[in-house]
Amino acid sequence: MSDVFPRWTNRLPSQIIFGLLLIGGVVTAGVTYYFTPKYTRVGYQPTQPVPFSHSIHVNQLGLDCRYCHDGVEKSWYSNVPAADTCINCHSGVLPNDPKLKPVRESYKNPDKAIEWVQIHKLPDYAFFNHAVHVNRGVSCVECHGRVDLMEEVSHAKHFSMTFCLDCHRDPNDRLRPLDKITDLAYDRSKDDANRDRNFVKEWHIKTSENCSACHR
Amino acid sequence: MNNPKDSTNMQNDGPRHWRSLEHKADTPEFRAFVEKEFPSGVDLIDDPVSRRNFMKIMSASFALAGLGVTGCRRPEHKILPFSKMPENYVHGAPQHFATSMPTRQSAVPLVVKSYDGRPIKIEGNPELPGSNGGTDQYAQASILSLYDPDRGLNFKIAENGKLNVIAKAKVLEQLKGLANSKTHVLMEQSSSPSRAALVAGLKAKGVRFYEYEPIDFSVHAEAASIAFGSSVKPVYKFDKAKAILSLDCDFLGTEEAAFENIRGFSAGRRVKDDHTENPSEVMNRLYVVEGLLSLTGTNSDHRLRIPTGSVSRVAALFLKEALELSNTDAGGFIDELKEFIGNLNEDFPNSHAVEGEGSSANIGKWVKECVADLARLADQGKKTLVLAGYRQPKEVHLVAMALNSLLGNVGETLVLQSFNDAGNGSIKDLAANFEKGENLIVLGGDPAYNAPADIDWNGIVERAGKFVRHGFYNVDQTSQKSDVYIPATHYLESWGDALTSDGTLVPVQPLIAPLFGGLTELEVLARISGSEEVDPYKITRATFEGIAGKGDSKWDKFLHDGFLAGSEAKIVSAEFDGEAAATEWRENIQKFIPPSKKNLEVTFFRDHCVDDGRWGNNGWLLETPNPVTRITWDNVLLVSLNTARDLLGESESKKLLDFEKVDGEDFDPKTMDLPGRFGFHSDSGRFHQKVFKLKIGDREIEGPIWLLPGMADNVVGIALGYGRGVGRVGGATGPLSERTGGGGFDAYKVRTTKAQHVASGAELLPTNAKYEVACTQEQGVMDGRPVVRECNADDFDGHKDFVKHFDLDSVHHTTHLVKGDDRGYPWEKDEELKRINSSDEDLPASPYRNNFGDDKVNGPKLMDVQRQQWGMVIDLTTCVGCNACVVACQSENNIPIVGKHQVALGREMSWMSIHRYFSGDEHNPQVTYQGVSCQHCEDAPCETVCPVNATVHDQEGLNLMAYNRCVGTRYCSNNCPYKVRRFNYYDYNRRPMGSEGGEIKPGQFFNDDNSLNNSPLHPGNKSSNGEWELIRWYKDPSRGSVPGLDDGKKEGGEFDPEWDLIKLSKNPDVTVRMRGVMEKCTYCVQRIQRAKIEQKSKVRDSVEKLDDPEAKIAALDVPDGTIIPACQQACPADGVSFGDISDPTSEVYRLKRQNRNYSVLGYLDTRPRTTYLAKLRNPNASMPDYFDIPNTVTEYNKKNHAHIFESKESNADGKEPNH
Repeated sequence: MSDVFPRWTNRLPSQIIFGLLLIGGVVTAGVTYYFTPKYTRVGYQPTQPVPFSHSIHVNQLGLDCRYCHDGVEKSWYSNVPAADTCINCHSGVLPNDPKLKPVRESYKNPDKAIEWVQIHKLPDYAFFNHAVHVNRGVSCVECHGRVDLMEEVSHAKHFSMTFCLDCHRDPNDRLRPLDKITDLAYDRSKDDANRDRNFVKEWHIKTSENCSACHR
Repeated sequence: MNNPKDSTNMQNDGPRHWRSLEHKADTPEFRAFVEKEFPSGVDLIDDPVSRRNFMKIMSASFALAGLGVTGCRRPEHKILPFSKMPENYVHGAPQHFATSMPTRQSAVPLVVKSYDGRPIKIEGNPELPGSNGGTDQYAQASILSLYDPDRGLNFKIAENGKLNVIAKAKVLEQLKGLANSKTHVLMEQSSSPSRAALVAGLKAKGVRFYEYEPIDFSVHAEAASIAFGSSVKPVYKFDKAKAILSLDCDFLGTEEAAFENIRGFSAGRRVKDDHTENPSEVMNRLYVVEGLLSLTGTNSDHRLRIPTGSVSRVAALFLKEALELSNTDAGGFIDELKEFIGNLNEDFPNSHAVEGEGSSANIGKWVKECVADLARLADQGKKTLVLAGYRQPKEVHLVAMALNSLLGNVGETLVLQSFNDAGNGSIKDLAANFEKGENLIVLGGDPAYNAPADIDWNGIVERAGKFVRHGFYNVDQTSQKSDVYIPATHYLESWGDALTSDGTLVPVQPLIAPLFGGLTELEVLARISGSEEVDPYKITRATFEGIAGKGDSKWDKFLHDGFLAGSEAKIVSAEFDGEAAATEWRENIQKFIPPSKKNLEVTFFRDHCVDDGRWGNNGWLLETPNPVTRITWDNVLLVSLNTARDLLGESESKKLLDFEKVDGEDFDPKTMDLPGRFGFHSDSGRFHQKVFKLKIGDREIEGPIWLLPGMADNVVGIALGYGRGVGRVGGATGPLSERTGGGGFDAYKVRTTKAQHVASGAELLPTNAKYEVACTQEQGVMDGRPVVRECNADDFDGHKDFVKHFDLDSVHHTTHLVKGDDRGYPWEKDEELKRINSSDEDLPASPYRNNFGDDKVNGPKLMDVQRQQWGMVIDLTTCVGCNACVVACQSENNIPIVGKHQVALGREMSWMSIHRYFSGDEHNPQVTYQGVSCQHCEDAPCETVCPVNATVHDQEGLNLMAYNRCVGTRYCSNNCPYKVRRFNYYDYNRRPMGSEGGEIKPGQFFNDDNSLNNSPLHPGNKSSNGEWELIRWYKDPSRGSVPGLDDGKKEGGEFDPEWDLIKLSKNPDVTVRMRGVMEKCTYCVQRIQRAKIEQKSKVRDSVEKLDDPEAKIAALDVPDGTIIPACQQACPADGVSFGDISDPTSEVYRLKRQNRNYSVLGYLDTRPRTTYLAKLRNPNASMPDYFDIPNTVTEYNKKNHAHIFESKESNADGKEPNH
């Protein structure tokens, strides 16, 4: 009696298992890479209505972050400046630049807000407070990257839960003296006076790793 | 102390605290129900999606997902900054503004929190002298009405009997030329000086003004003015009164400014420190005479139930006794009183609390002893207070004033303030004066709905030449018939002013520009008068400057503080004019015939939820259970047990009320909802009540019957304010049997000018209809444990540690089980145990010892000594059960409204609920309230069973809920011994607001629970016009959830609101929960975090100079009293305290050290962070209804064969008999 199944079917079970493992592995790897904020968020750089350059304003002109984002020390939210903040200077500097047309229009007509595109979005169900971080030694650069060097702002860090928790578990290396908070180029490892300070102890930093720290 | 008699008439060993008659009877069916933990309907999803459907839809949605992948872009969100930054504005930081909510003759001073221009939370203004920041439930809920989708949105003018939208300017045109003698204006009462000035100006031009309030409190001032011979109004100082006698005065519940009364009453009742104070010396005592079981009655120490109409006779008896006691002859007046009183004991044989103690002689004894007690206090120079309620005629108020005068209370607890009566006519005068063709202007109110039934309102409207209506709703009955409709602004959108109950001037300051245009009452009056100044801001400011003088700084301070200091009304010292009062009494007093089976008495009362109907479309209030009946969404016909027996007949009563088996009939719990049964369906925990027809003369209404223990016999109590038919939330009308959405029935239909509050000659006739009543009474029963612990004040001294002798957590049960001091608070150590543990004087971070091992032993240290440890104490002695905390919690924490049907299924969402326990005699029970929310157990049973770690502890002792982790297993809720967890069975926040064809039907919002099934897997419903939900959502995610027309089409110029109004009311600091997640009280974690963040932002790096680590910690700790959870903030009684329990200087630490402090279900060793201070009662031992031991304790002793309070010997050495 000839075999019902040809010989090669003997290898079939192992091939199927191997195949499934391969597919499963690829899917898992794909999801792990592509479905996480590291891929979906980092690098997001939408076109803004006004091609505002942080690089020019901060790096060349030396504006402090808080000149425009003046609510950052008082509120959970770091505000995008109102049009009149821009006009403070741009009534004299480049008063008729076509790129600044939306700013001038918004300044004249309160109903016409500049439609900036949001880049940094907090994940759902999480609450984040700017004020407590910048007042207690966490610089803008820790979450937003070197915005001072960006021509156009892009999403620099991935804002996943582990991103927050890594720092909350071991905050000391990410802390700096309060006068350096908006100095994005500051590097504590090169600052002899502050390199070995233990801010956690000095300032009694009690980061919370509890759910209630972010989820309310 | 003598052994108590078994005065409770209990037939069986019922449960100790019973919450309903069914519970008390303790039928096997009820037991089965209780043991099920949840009513069986609660977990059934009536979603018609079958498995097959599910598969079909799921494959469809995958296909759709595949199609959509190419379009799967990250949604683009815009940030729209200001053009010019408003001064002092910080985006994301809430602002607070002082304002006030005008009430009838008073105002509630408020501080309102505004988030990015949206008012989101109302709090009382604590800056006013004497204020503690407490408010009432109406003020708390009023913010929801600002976002009411059924508000009048447009100016309208009638054409061919239909109101059409028209431009504002055209409507303003119509207001010109009305300032003449042919115009009649009907208004609501108001304390606003600006309005009074405008009205005076218009009166000079001949315009006639009338005021109408269906529930009118002006009788207090009227009576005082007669009694004291000048225009005065009484202001009651409850905090100074050592004993209070209420003659049908529900001053804690339904009187004007009840929250202020609660504040005073609780202040006079609080035992601040039971280590040093003797409760029987510091506590006040409350006597109540009433027909209904009111909130005040439930908080009384002694209560005499007598039909409401007959309170006048008991009042006369009080006066007679008092006159005799003070040896005053009063010119033969005593004889008159005697004649009037007649034989009370014969007329009201069952009125007394204690059956079988010779009740027919008891009214006399009750009154005599009560008067003796008041007189004794007066002799000691202590002050008392006698009050009569708004339901009682002037004559009873005069008796109360006379008693106050005899007791020396005038000028002490009864303060008289000068008062200007506006001198406006009544609605009766309007009906009499109104001639055909004259103009009618109605400002506010809803007279077409709530005018007395014998006033022909439609006749007035038909006679009117022009009928101008200014009202909040254009869908109410009055607006519908108007010629010109002007939308009214909400008070949070209005400029105005008002006077508080003591006459202090407070501003009404807008928090937001009118959402839909609209005018304030002041502007309407100003425009009618043709005055040049029509801006309500300028009118208000002018009035203010007339009182306080000109100057920006004064005005700014006024708006900032929210009141004008020193502006309260002048205190008048006047003598009681006995002659005038007696004359008035003689001329007007009427003797009510005692009600009988065939001649029932009806008592109408102001509702705890909808007031007189003004909050009838407010879902928060509708869903808040009535504090006494625990019913939501409806009013009912309240009757006593005896009245019910009469209505049912003997055999039916046996079956339905005594739950006795009738021969030949099986007692099947499933048939308990047969018509004729009084209600309870123990299988589902639902109430299907028989509908009765109530006939008074030739007027009749129908309503479901409800048994309320403690009502006077032959009295029917009916809450006003329901059945108004306004709005999609609470406006359901039509036959009761066809309704599911609640809304109650309209009792104004049988209310006449002659019988505004009490009507006699009523009859109750059974109908065949049934009506479901959503009552939260049976839900969450903590059966069989002494959850509420009580003590009489006079016993307290000998039994200071009585709370520790209850239940298995009694110290005498635990010492042999637990070694040393491992259980309980360290400060609860017995002296002996303290010696054993003498090495351990340091206070551990956890108030409980050895939680998960402390750092000296091993294991993770869960409670962090460097962090503050939150805890709460609720004082049951001061809590009166007013519900302010319940609504405040709902407002603060974005708790959804679920609708009547869902409540009936046991799915109400309130995080804080007030439990009400009856104990003792079912004819006149003792009542205890207990606010219960998540107890934040340190050994939380919920945490151990969560498979996904969605509920966990934090280092500050909070029991957290991470909503985004929750997968909805509900294990935690099953395992919670306190039953405080709430599950989102549906996406309550996305209940569609529109309906078929865009037409909004009254009450439909919550009538149709099918609309809740708007999951993507649902095959469509009415609101989506039969479209599959997934497809509808794909086309337009927000369709059906915005008010106005469905497709955003503008039809006939109808205003099309851009916003989802309901979303505007949400607190942005709190997650809005979706379907399928569990939620519960968080101790307002958002407020805790805010306070911590503010403290840290303030401290910054300044602690680096401090060397001492302890000092660093202390500098970063949030100071005591900074964090005030919503419930504590709203509580007018100061019954809730919150703070750091590891801080020996905090208030909450101090309270937890009180002798009365106990944990509910402490024997489970869950170690709750919320603890309670046991309730103290202050009864008078000479009274005939004196209870030696609180009923709950008597019942506890009986059930457990315990002897708490029973004999001094057994307790003197602190030992309890073994069980």
